[in-house]
Amino acid sequence: METLGYLRLAEAPESIWMSIEAELQRQPSRKAALRPWRWAFAATVILTALSAAYWSFAHRAQTRWEVTRIGGAPSVGAKHIRSTGKIGAGEWIETDSTSSAMVNIGEIGSVEVTPDTRLRIVTARPGEHRLALARGEIRAKISAPPRLFFVETASGTAVDLGCEYTLNTDEDGLGWLRVTKGWVSFQWRGLESLVPAGARCATRPQLGPGIPYFEDASERMQQALDHFNFEKGGDAALNVILAEARVRDTLTLWHLLSRVDGEDRARVYDRIASLTPVPAGVSREQALKLDAETLQRWKEELAWTW
Amino acid sequence: MWRFGMVACAIAAGALAEGFTFTIGNPVASQNFRMKAAAFVFRTDGCADPAKSQISGTAEGLVKGTRRSVVLKVVPASKPGVYAVYQTWPAEGDWVVSLRGVCASESAGAVVPIGPKGFVRESAKFFPRPATNAEIEKSLKALKQGGDK
Repeated sequence: METLGYLRLAEAPESIWMSIEAELQRQPSRKAALRPWRWAFAATVILTALSAAYWSFAHRAQTRWEVTRIGGAPSVGAKHIRSTGKIGAGEWIETDSTSSAMVNIGEIGSVEVTPDTRLRIVTARPGEHRLALARGEIRAKISAPPRLFFVETASGTAVDLGCEYTLNTDEDGLGWLRVTKGWVSFQWRGLESLVPAGARCATRPQLGPGIPYFEDASERMQQALDHFNFEKGGDAALNVILAEARVRDTLTLWHLLSRVDGEDRARVYDRIASLTPVPAGVSREQALKLDAETLQRWKEELAWTW
Repeated sequence: MWRFGMVACAIAAGALAEGFTFTIGNPVASQNFRMKAAAFVFRTDGCADPAKSQISGTAEGLVKGTRRSVVLKVVPASKPGVYAVYQTWPAEGDWVVSLRGVCASESAGAVVPIGPKGFVRESAKFFPRPATNAEIEKSLKALKQGGDK
């Protein structure tokens, strides 16, 4: 240890201190540079976890529905259903002229797919059950609150309001809707036909749903409606409809109100009023203006005669 | 003034009660998807407080020559004064539904024939009191003779 005392004290070169100081100054900035990377890494991990959770949830929510063969060899995708199978969103079920099948629509009902039908599952979630009928015929039995079950066609969408119905269409949208229980709303570009049990309406490409009518309406009235809806039947058709209408046919007249204007609308109003008393809260003026609340109130009252 | 008020109230109450009756309709009229499977629905009219009215019904039938009576559960809708009647009577035989209602001091009755395609609106009878046995028998007889089918 004594020898150490003889050693000469040598100072470090100035440059060393400068480089140390420079290094010390640089370190905080490196830390600062590292922080965004750490945040980015953490964010990526969290995002990945969230995406995985969402995918898992969505995957579970898009459940597959059971398909039961009724006859022949219906197919889901390229697979023939021998007894039972499954179908999910994005998949097609197809029947030929000799086959038919039943699809369970989640917990809310069932759809019978009749021969020569092509049907796609668009959405299969508890809050939205949506099918697309490309062609053919389906018979739906739904037991659920309104607006949970939808069937799209080329000429509009059938919106279930708690019902049982048959829907038929070709590829272009020429077809019909027939309701046996409850209500169905058939909608196309702002046009709506409300079809109750016992009634039906025709559908046409680029024209959507026609005015609904009860199946026991007179033959003349049905023909006139066809002319009016799809062949520009005009006054002649309207005259027949008004003349043939019974109390129950106020279903048809109520729809007609919003599909004619001017004097024709007034004639329709007067015809309804002549068939059944106008309820309190419905005024001629408001009805002719197509006031939504007035028409709704009137429809609810008229429904007691339908 | 007090007497005038009493008379006015009595007239108003009388006018309301006089109108106490039933209106029948298809299940769609209830605007309630839960009632879509009902045989028919009906509502009370002319009752100031429908929530306090007392409503009951029986299905009266003739099955192979034997008179039968089935007490019905009349199901109220969420809208006051609207009810549903579900078929709990046998499919066999001829049947009418007899409805009875009481609103305050007034009563109402109806006999609704049931045909093969459902209730027969055109042949339904409405009374300002419960239907008598004779009126029920008459409706059943008309139904059996095919007048309501």
